[in-house]
Amino acid sequence: MKPLPRDMRHAWRRTFAVQSLWNYPTMLGAGLTYALLPLLRRIHAGDPPALEAAVRRHLDSFNAHPYLSAIAVGALARLEFDGVAEDEISRFRTALRGPLGTLGDRTIWAEWRPLCLLIAITLFGVGVRPLVCVLAFLVPYNIGHLWVRLWGFRRGWEHGRGVGRLLREFPLERLTDRLWPVTMFLLGAATVLLGRDIVEAAGPSAERLPLLIVAGLTAVPAFRWPNRFGRLAIGLLLSIPIIWILLALAGWGP
Amino acid sequence: MPLTELGLTPGTWLLLVGLGGLLAVDGVSFPQIMVSRPLVSATLGGAALGQPGGGLLVGAVLELLSMRHPPYGAAKYPDTGPAGLVAGAAYAAAGAGSIEALVAALIGGWATGWAGSYAGHARRKLNGHLVANQQALAARPARLERLVLGALAVDFGRGALITAGFLLPVTLVAGLAAGLRVAGGGAAFGAAALVTALAASVGAGARTTAPDGRAWAMVLIGALLAASTLWPGP
Repeated sequence: MKPLPRDMRHAWRRTFAVQSLWNYPTMLGAGLTYALLPLLRRIHAGDPPALEAAVRRHLDSFNAHPYLSAIAVGALARLEFDGVAEDEISRFRTALRGPLGTLGDRTIWAEWRPLCLLIAITLFGVGVRPLVCVLAFLVPYNIGHLWVRLWGFRRGWEHGRGVGRLLREFPLERLTDRLWPVTMFLLGAATVLLGRDIVEAAGPSAERLPLLIVAGLTAVPAFRWPNRFGRLAIGLLLSIPIIWILLALAGWGP
Repeated sequence: MPLTELGLTPGTWLLLVGLGGLLAVDGVSFPQIMVSRPLVSATLGGAALGQPGGGLLVGAVLELLSMRHPPYGAAKYPDTGPAGLVAGAAYAAAGAGSIEALVAALIGGWATGWAGSYAGHARRKLNGHLVANQQALAARPARLERLVLGALAVDFGRGALITAGFLLPVTLVAGLAAGLRVAGGGAAFGAAALVTALAASVGAGARTTAPDGRAWAMVLIGALLAASTLWPGP
């Protein structure tokens, strides 16, 4: 039986909880099945063994970016509805997990989210009110987020097995591919503006220009050796109170 | 700063603990609208104690410090919701004005984030046990729906517990740090180390976002343009 529009809405809403049962052996498998259930129940209505078999195969290991998992939910439901053979569905699931993971990580976690965050941080740096800054992140970010889930779910259902072709034309990726220079520009600007706020918190004893030069000199090799300098950053942060205590013990009190 | 002036009343503490649970759920389980990012959660923490701007400053620094820990697959990364909330609230409670309190709040937030991360790792293992019997789940799919609700409740409890465990100690330390002003040279050292840490973290984090080495040029242009507006000549 073809899923009703309310089943579709129900399944789409459930994609928001697709990571709630994330675990190491099957990763998104259980969450994906949870999202698919309203559709599977309709598709296999009146055939409990077929429903049980469908639930069993979707509980298997699966992984994807959580937002793009909506594509998988739509496409897998379509395959079930079209009566595609079990082994073909399994192969399709396996083929889908890699692209849905890497595409989402690359486009959303590595590009879209940093861009929206850096817009907000830069606005804060130029004196915009905190609430406006937070909204400047949340609103555009979630417009993209909700669009990906809606677009993915609809296109997944419409295209079924042909969804792979669709991923090669993922519109958000085309957008973020063009916007990375903006993200990098904002990263530099936001860091300097935050640095200014930190220096102001330190009072008049801290000079802005030498700090900026030191920071810039650190950021350059960090770009070349990210892991070492990432650890150095946290080491530096943790060393500050230790140095303060040593300075106090040495009698350099206020 | 006298500890009595910190403003963390039992009611505020309870509110923040509940909020910490909700933010932890948003981080991974539901609905991932990113209120769990430190930029948002620290602002909420600061706002709860009357200093949203102070909270936002802490959140923005934590945001850049955690840039090189994107949530790819099964990777471990700081649980930024409770982390930002605790750090933002602690800095706001300490008056949101001193480098000492800022450093204390950031370290407290960083520790909270990694404690949350390890608790999240335990939760993932628990989930694995819950869904291990796939035959039983397939036979009674309604059980899977109950498990999802249970998993959300566990995640909420995890975030609330982490927030409850760290909020008061971090706030007290930040309050004490704000009261124990270090010498002029010490404050300058703190600012230098913090700005350098930020720059190193940003340089490292940019590698997760940038497609290639050309990105560095854009970072530099952005930094120089911002610097030119902030450091005018005499």
